[in-house]
Amino acid sequence: MKTWAVARQMIAEGIRMKIALVFIFLIGMVVLGLPFSISGDSSLTGAVQSFMSYGLTTAGFLLGMLTIFLSRSVSDEMVHRQIFLVMTKPLPRWQYVVGKWLGITLLNAAFLASVGLTIYAMIFYIRYTHPPADDRFDEAELKNEVLVARHALPFKLPDFSQSAEQEFQRNIEEGVYQDVPNFDPAKEKDRLMQKYNARWRVVGPGDFRIFEFENVLCNRSKDNTVQLRYKAQVSGYAPDEIFRALWRFGDPYKGTPVYEIPVRHMVDRFHTIRVPADAAAEDNTLMAYFYNINPYPGEPQYLNVQEFRASDGVEVLFVVGTFEWNLFRTLVLMMCKLMFLAAVSVLMVIVFSFPVACLCSFTVYVLAGARQFLAEALDMSSDDFATMFSSVKEFFVQSLIHIYDMLHWVIPDFARFDPVESFVSGRNVGLVWVLQAVSELVLIKAVIVLGIAILLFHRREVAELSF
Amino acid sequence: MPVVQTAGLCKVFRDFWRRPRVEAVKDLNLEIQPGEVFGLLGPNGSGKTTTIKMLLGLLYPTKGRISVFGKPPTDVAVKGRIGFLPEDSYLYRFLVAHETLDYYGRLFRLPSRIRHERADRLLDMVGLRHEAKRRIGEYSKGMARRIGLAQALINDPEFLILDEPTAGLDPIGARQIKDVIRELGRKGKTILLSSHVLADVEDVCDRVTILYGGQQRAAGDIGDLLCQHDVTQITAPRLSPKTVEELRATIQRLEQRDILTVSNPRVKLEDFFLKIVEEAQAANIRTYGARKGGELPEFLQKPAETTAKDVVDSLVEASTRRVEPLPTREPVPMHAPATPASSVIEELIQPQPVKIAAEEPISQPPTPSLDSQRLRKKADLSVIDELLAGRGGDGKPEA
Repeated sequence: MKTWAVARQMIAEGIRMKIALVFIFLIGMVVLGLPFSISGDSSLTGAVQSFMSYGLTTAGFLLGMLTIFLSRSVSDEMVHRQIFLVMTKPLPRWQYVVGKWLGITLLNAAFLASVGLTIYAMIFYIRYTHPPADDRFDEAELKNEVLVARHALPFKLPDFSQSAEQEFQRNIEEGVYQDVPNFDPAKEKDRLMQKYNARWRVVGPGDFRIFEFENVLCNRSKDNTVQLRYKAQVSGYAPDEIFRALWRFGDPYKGTPVYEIPVRHMVDRFHTIRVPADAAAEDNTLMAYFYNINPYPGEPQYLNVQEFRASDGVEVLFVVGTFEWNLFRTLVLMMCKLMFLAAVSVLMVIVFSFPVACLCSFTVYVLAGARQFLAEALDMSSDDFATMFSSVKEFFVQSLIHIYDMLHWVIPDFARFDPVESFVSGRNVGLVWVLQAVSELVLIKAVIVLGIAILLFHRREVAELSF
Repeated sequence: MPVVQTAGLCKVFRDFWRRPRVEAVKDLNLEIQPGEVFGLLGPNGSGKTTTIKMLLGLLYPTKGRISVFGKPPTDVAVKGRIGFLPEDSYLYRFLVAHETLDYYGRLFRLPSRIRHERADRLLDMVGLRHEAKRRIGEYSKGMARRIGLAQALINDPEFLILDEPTAGLDPIGARQIKDVIRELGRKGKTILLSSHVLADVEDVCDRVTILYGGQQRAAGDIGDLLCQHDVTQITAPRLSPKTVEELRATIQRLEQRDILTVSNPRVKLEDFFLKIVEEAQAANIRTYGARKGGELPEFLQKPAETTAKDVVDSLVEASTRRVEPLPTREPVPMHAPATPASSVIEELIQPQPVKIAAEEPISQPPTPSLDSQRLRKKADLSVIDELLAGRGGDGKPEA
């Protein structure tokens, strides 16, 4: 109850603080103003996706900043000495720290819920006010590809280990590697595997490929659909920027119906093909055949090559939940990050005075958000074979890398828990992902940070500042 | 069991590099008994506030022992029995008065009904019920001070610590706070009052300790400390010049001394001011400030609870109490050279027997209400002399 009292007081302060009003105003401007200014790629889907992406990203960033500023409450109480009255009441210090954190968290939850509801409402506004390009198509695309929660499955790449091994043995016999310095057989086998994979991903004119998808756990009725998403990554001559090909779905050996779907797609774009779900077999596998042929008689046929790059992926998507639940889980993931950040901010204001604490919290926020980028940048700054004592620069860079590695025990990788891209592309924000975020960001790391904050606050003489 | 007991208490403030900067409290031995109104006196920077902060667990002692209700001051249960009014009110500017009291009530885990009831009663008491919905940030300093007093009483504390309680208050508020202190003292609450407004302390305290430079310089019963044993004051209805002359002659004849002064006493400015304000209040003249406060709320009027354990404790303590005073209460001589003014007062307060006819009605200085025999200690008066002479204060910041 005492923790709750502190949290309530924190909430009252947060609502009445002018700084909070500024952030709420900014978030309101973004979320309410974007629908009136955004156009995306001029399609309805593009407009909605742009709105969702910018809206959620900006709101997430601003709420992160607000979290840092809200923690100022603790620092203010020390500077203005309200803490003298609070700490002379029968309030254990840990309850004060947890109460402050809880107050910030609940405020964030309320603000985030408001953002979620506003985004949800504004999507409908965009749907009904966006200038129609092709009403029926746009609406169906939006409904099937954005306002859903789809599970995505990658295809099962054929196993080329045997082919790679055979080629490796042949090369050994032929003495191909004799003159190679520092020859590493494992690396060579890996290179050969990658070569086979890359070769398989390229489909020349008149050629075909078979994609096999496993665990397609959808409702296999004819009325239901599964979606195949791929990118028309075409190399060669295509003056009309159109790529023509034939897809065939189903496995006649397993008794499923077979559906042939000719496609006429813009090159260098992602496309989604909808297929009746009964093309999937009883063992939950789905076979997809790609033919690099022109199925449209009378239309020009260019000898193009289709490449299914690993980074672009070919995947099967099927609906596993509603848009509303997906939005909720997206907000929960965002909330987990804010809860961790609130713990960091509370720790910082207990250790430092406000401006320094703000800077430190912001640094953690940036480090967590750009963790992969910074790790790669640091890694690239260091020479491959250099040791720490090779040069002053190496000493500096490798020291930074070590410090960065140590910080990662506490500072999480926010990018790993960024749901916005998945949510915007209508992919399911899975419960497992959410649970991972809750356990790692909140139950482990936020608790560790709060524990440190409580320990430090317990040892602190709160009145010493007054001297 | 004493409510507060300190032994060899020291507090040293250090700088960033842990080098000692200021020794705010030195070897302080203090004992406050239940039901006592205890004054902590001293000029600025004498260590009063630092001592209070250590009693409240806001600062940790550098050396020495400290106990409140027999436990360390950081003990959460102990804090539940204490009310604290700091030197400045330190309230949340964004909360309204009622929310403020409600918040502090929650920290004592008071049930909702009791919180609201007490908040209303206390706002009545401090005369701010009509301003209960205004934010504290909009209050004047005196009004905020009144809310500060109200929050200190929200838990019906057994031990009330008041740091400069009348600072920033108008005479009505100051009088009211003193009335509250007196009333709570009568109800058996233990009160520690820190102030350098000597009149306040004189008005309400049973016993005082005077600090200077972080050290205890004098301690004792306020009656003992301030009583002028060599002067007799007689108060009578207005006398004619002839009667005065006769009295003068009689005293000259009986005591071989002359009357020092004969005058018409003046009413205190405080009383005069309060009379004017009361007249204005009776005329219902509008004010946005504090109004006349009410009575002490009912929940504060019940006598301090005495448990069976307390009785046993007090009996055990009485049987084991040493007759001689504690070393800390021994008079501490001041080393400063006597000034002419202090010499005069010193001379005046030298004990000289005065013979007075037993039949004459004599007005004596009021005797302390508490069990003064038990608490009375011999006092060192030199510090008072120094304070009266206008010296004191070493220019150090108040800790």
